[in-house]
Amino acid sequence: MNQRTEERLTAYLFVAPYLLLFAAFLAVPVVYGFYISLHDWHVLGRARPFVGFANYSALLRDDLFHTALLNTAYFALLTVLPGNAASLLLALGLNARVKGETLFKTLYYLPVVLSVAVTAIIWRWLYSTEFGIINHYLSALGGPRPAWLNSPALAMPSLAVMSIWWGAGGNMLIYLAGLRGIPDEYYEAARMDGAGTWARFRHVTLPLLRPALLFCLVMSLIGSSQVFGQSYILTGGGPHYSTLTVVLYMYQTGFSLYRMGYACAVAYVLFALVLGLTVVQYRLVAGRREDFAA
Amino acid sequence: MRAGRIVLHLAMAAAAALFVAPVVWMVVMSFLPESEIFQPVPHWWPQHPTWSNYLELLKRAEEAPVERWFLNSAVVAAAGTSSYLLLSSMAAYAFARLSFPGRDMLFFIVLATLVIPGQVTIIPVFLILQKLGWFNTYWALVVPGLSGVFGVFLLRQFFLTIPRELEEAAVMDGCSRAAIYRRIILPLGKPAIATLGIFSFLGAWNDFMLPLIAVNENEMRTLPVGLMIFLGRYTMQYGLVMAAAAVTTIPVIAMFLIFQRHIVRGVVLTGLKG
Amino acid sequence: MSPFFAPLAAALILAAGGCSRRTTDEAGVLRFWNGFTGPDGATMERIVKRFEHDSGLRVKMQIIPWATYYDKLTLSLAYGGAPDVFICHANRLAEFARYGVMRPIDDLIVSDRTFPADDLMPNIRDAARYGGVQCGLPLDCHPQGLYYNTRLFREAGITDARGEATPPRTLSEFLQAARRLTRDKDGDGRPDQWGFAFTWLRTNWITFISQFGGSVLTPDLVRSRINCAENAEATRLMADLITRYRIAPRPEGFDSWMGFRQGRVAMALEGIYMLSSLEEQKGLAYAGAPAPLFGRRQAVWGGSHVLCMPRTIGAARARRAWRFMRYLSDNSLDWAAGGQMPVRKSLLRAARFRTMRVQREFARQLPYVVFEPASHKSTEIMPFYDAAIESSLLGLQTPQAALDEAHRRISQVMARR
Repeated sequence: MNQRTEERLTAYLFVAPYLLLFAAFLAVPVVYGFYISLHDWHVLGRARPFVGFANYSALLRDDLFHTALLNTAYFALLTVLPGNAASLLLALGLNARVKGETLFKTLYYLPVVLSVAVTAIIWRWLYSTEFGIINHYLSALGGPRPAWLNSPALAMPSLAVMSIWWGAGGNMLIYLAGLRGIPDEYYEAARMDGAGTWARFRHVTLPLLRPALLFCLVMSLIGSSQVFGQSYILTGGGPHYSTLTVVLYMYQTGFSLYRMGYACAVAYVLFALVLGLTVVQYRLVAGRREDFAA
Repeated sequence: MRAGRIVLHLAMAAAAALFVAPVVWMVVMSFLPESEIFQPVPHWWPQHPTWSNYLELLKRAEEAPVERWFLNSAVVAAAGTSSYLLLSSMAAYAFARLSFPGRDMLFFIVLATLVIPGQVTIIPVFLILQKLGWFNTYWALVVPGLSGVFGVFLLRQFFLTIPRELEEAAVMDGCSRAAIYRRIILPLGKPAIATLGIFSFLGAWNDFMLPLIAVNENEMRTLPVGLMIFLGRYTMQYGLVMAAAAVTTIPVIAMFLIFQRHIVRGVVLTGLKG
Repeated sequence: MSPFFAPLAAALILAAGGCSRRTTDEAGVLRFWNGFTGPDGATMERIVKRFEHDSGLRVKMQIIPWATYYDKLTLSLAYGGAPDVFICHANRLAEFARYGVMRPIDDLIVSDRTFPADDLMPNIRDAARYGGVQCGLPLDCHPQGLYYNTRLFREAGITDARGEATPPRTLSEFLQAARRLTRDKDGDGRPDQWGFAFTWLRTNWITFISQFGGSVLTPDLVRSRINCAENAEATRLMADLITRYRIAPRPEGFDSWMGFRQGRVAMALEGIYMLSSLEEQKGLAYAGAPAPLFGRRQAVWGGSHVLCMPRTIGAARARRAWRFMRYLSDNSLDWAAGGQMPVRKSLLRAARFRTMRVQREFARQLPYVVFEPASHKSTEIMPFYDAAIESSLLGLQTPQAALDEAHRRISQVMARR
């Protein structure tokens, strides 16, 4: 056989196994899930009638779903910007060539390799109103003993702080690589123009970090919209629905109530929202690339 | 200026303490005997550290078979990772270096799915697993994860940087494409493949949502999901729970410490190219 | 070479180990699922063994803790592996019956001439009906009732002429007794002994609202009426017990049942199934009585374990399964010894039952037991009224406001198809 044929055959052979699995467990489910969302689909039901967009219109009127959306947005608000700010700060610190840089880097990244279950277990005890270390030190300093996970006002912020601790190290590495990629000459030039630290940061660092910022912010947003494990394990959506997130609502609808059609509709609304937000964010952050003239 | 540097170092150290303290504390508390759990003043170190929590873990075979969970996690992570490395490297090579009709469009479709949040497919995947009869088997725990796009993308980017001349020379020597893959691409791709392997392993070990819906027999659960149920049953037995958490985490931390450089490189690679 | 070896090994591992325990359908063995862990399970095990001995049929019983029971049951009914006989709580029956996953047993009852169908308590039997068919055979009923600490009663002088502790029968008797039983023994301004404590909030609440003539849904199970005046009145009374009459502690961070067991709480409304928990507590002097009349008519929350068969069961198996089910029912007096209550009139009159002092008292309430709403959306709306009850009793919201909010949420669910 000639080379072209051999190349093609090899190509199909090499790509087929992966594509088969990709199709079966990614591509097909995406379409299948949408199909299910158009039906009244219960795991026990023998009939699964087509209902068009009835599930979606029911979602529009569903109070709990609205609560879940708001909670998820609140969580994103509490984690995306503060979390990335923390990551950036850590990266800036590491970039300053401190002693023990490798050790610091390792320690900052350590929480990232933990499973959500382990993270939740550790923080459940830390946040314990009665026995947690946090409240112990607070009351030792004369402060109150807040019910971190048991009060509707504090539960979501508590989850947010835990999530920032858990994930800051990841984006920190990306920012650090980005920072390392900025040539010193730019800073020198800026310094000679009389720019102070903050001005150098604003006019040299930030613009040149734009690709990294874009990537991290987009990924953070997508990630925070999918928050599930933290609320499922620590608070179960409570207290009083304050930590009910969209994915948790989807999970409860699909795996407690077994209403698959409705749960898939929730998933697709989430998908659409995330997609939309990603596009908007991309335009906002990357759009102004034209401003900066290299 | 000097004072500034000192403050910086102190701040960095304080931050490091904040990040690492909870993890260390978990390990330390796993040695806490039951008698000390509800002390009014928590100590940073148990007064009478004991191995009893770990021994207790082994006794709970009925409701919380921690050793079985550990085995399941290990099997799933190992089998999943090795399979994924093979499949994704083969596909990545085809996308990077072989030409075939539909190649670019297929790759675009694959790439496009990166924007889809993983949870969107969890319900259809569950129904498919039931249809296949894979529920409560290792197949359900391993196979869905093999559809991941990240690895194919990462390796393709890396393979693209391998000099074409090497391959062209081999082709002229009469080497088959498959042989080129085995003898040139794989060896040169080792750093990226190793990095991917580590990420895959960590991801599979720590995965929570797929194992949650793929199995519901206690014997088939993986560590993260089993841990959570464990927590529900033994809410107040903190020492025991911490021991279980430590068992889940020690392999992961060990891996992390050993393969730090690969992990750092991998995170950076995705970030900058993405 | 190496890249191919590892996945091959992986595939072998997968194929070899960790397959699901899909039980093979051994001919003739009846598979029976329930959630009876602990002593209940041991009691059931004994009855099952006797059935095997008496009938020559074999039964394989699998106990799945209630926490995961309904998940496993649902998935097995949907995707295969369902047992031949399974327990379903009466308040969850509608969810399953709605999809017709249970095999109606009317024909089996009729064709079995030796089975005294009217020996079953009619209201309990009807709780297992849905859509005009009998979906299962109720095995027992577990109503709530008043547990009271006889020693504390005697110490407080709440006794009859013979010095026996007298349980309260009306609201005023209840309040009087509870006041005398709530004491601050160490003088720190907070009571150490409580006259009463709320244990399981939801079931306590259902008892209260039913006594005032209220309910969660309208009788046709179509709409919510959770915020009706009767419910608000009953919920206010419950909250008043804590804040106005101060005879019960706030149900937060307080293990009420443990408090009763340890003699720090004098009265509690709980199910008959808690009996074994009390029997374990050495030195506790307790007795049972029908729940007091807090409202306008007698009513008390109850549950029931119903024996069901899946729709797909074959004819011969169904007959064997029926023999097993009715055997359990005929012998439900043995089951009662573990703290449940038979629902066969003949057994309730039996001398042996009369000797079970707590069950006997609780059984007096059987004619007016109230179950949770028999709607297939019952489980879905439960969290809404749970939240309302908790909010009211913790003083976070007034009862009317909490019930109004629950009404809004429940109405949305009920309005759906």
